[in-house]
Amino acid sequence: MFLIKCPYCGERDQSEFNCGGEAHIVRPKNPPDLTDDQWADYLFMRKNIKGIQFERWNHSNGCRRWFNVTRNTATDEILKIYNMGEQPPIVTGIAPKTPSGETSIGSGNISTSYTKK
Amino acid sequence: MLNRENSIHTLQNNVVQEHAGIKFQELPFMTKINLRGNPNDKKFLSSANEVLNTILPTRTNIYIKIDSLKIIWLGPDEWLIVDEKGSDKQDLFSKLENSIGSQDASVTDVSENRTVIRIMGKKLFMLLAKFLTLNLDNSLNSSSSVAQTLFIRVPVLLMRHHEHNREPKIDIFTNRSHANYVYKILVDGTQNLDF
Repeated sequence: MFLIKCPYCGERDQSEFNCGGEAHIVRPKNPPDLTDDQWADYLFMRKNIKGIQFERWNHSNGCRRWFNVTRNTATDEILKIYNMGEQPPIVTGIAPKTPSGETSIGSGNISTSYTKK
Repeated sequence: MLNRENSIHTLQNNVVQEHAGIKFQELPFMTKINLRGNPNDKKFLSSANEVLNTILPTRTNIYIKIDSLKIIWLGPDEWLIVDEKGSDKQDLFSKLENSIGSQDASVTDVSENRTVIRIMGKKLFMLLAKFLTLNLDNSLNSSSSVAQTLFIRVPVLLMRHHEHNREPKIDIFTNRSHANYVYKILVDGTQNLDF
């Protein structure tokens, strides 16, 4: 459990929020032209990073507004909260910290290198 | 005044029950209207302000009171209008709908959705803190504060009434179907407030 600072209501417990998954997924402009694989990739494929992830969250038991969160999924540290429609902050160079201090190679952190087709 | 049966069986007909110095009352039926619209739209704001005779609150988590009306901030483009005079339900609703209905905004009658449990008592904040993750000192810090949060797993809206250094008095807005559960949990929580 952790605290999230809602842009409107201030700091609240995580139980008041719902995570809407990965942020900044843009709907394709030409859906009829896509192959089934490309459409499935847009609809279903999501990153599952151990490290810095950009997510959408909704304050579902408060003001019911959506906003974006930059979160380290390994430590639940929230690096940035910003409004919908804003560009994601640049967070490269921040090594994902893990509670056990794992190295980046040979641990789950390697999954951060996942790239979409 | 419309006659409706209260949601809490033991708090019918404005009965006030006291448990360990905390008083409980379920308020009678009140008109509740949900209003949504763009706060940057001057036409919407002026129409709403004209009907309500006041300015919609745009500061977060506050409410304003004018006569029998309370206008509660629910979100940056959403308000709950509570009219203690239940008999004016259709009157206020139709006035708002006539004035705002054709615009890019919505007026919804949600009167039957929630009921209001009023609780009063010196140790009220201590009682509520048992069941809330909310920081009450920060969130209900003025006599015009409201906070939407979870009570155990029940969504509630808390509305503070009392002035600073006065006996705490808070209204809990909760779904009618959850009211009895919330009340029973609160009464149970009063059992060991005397330490």
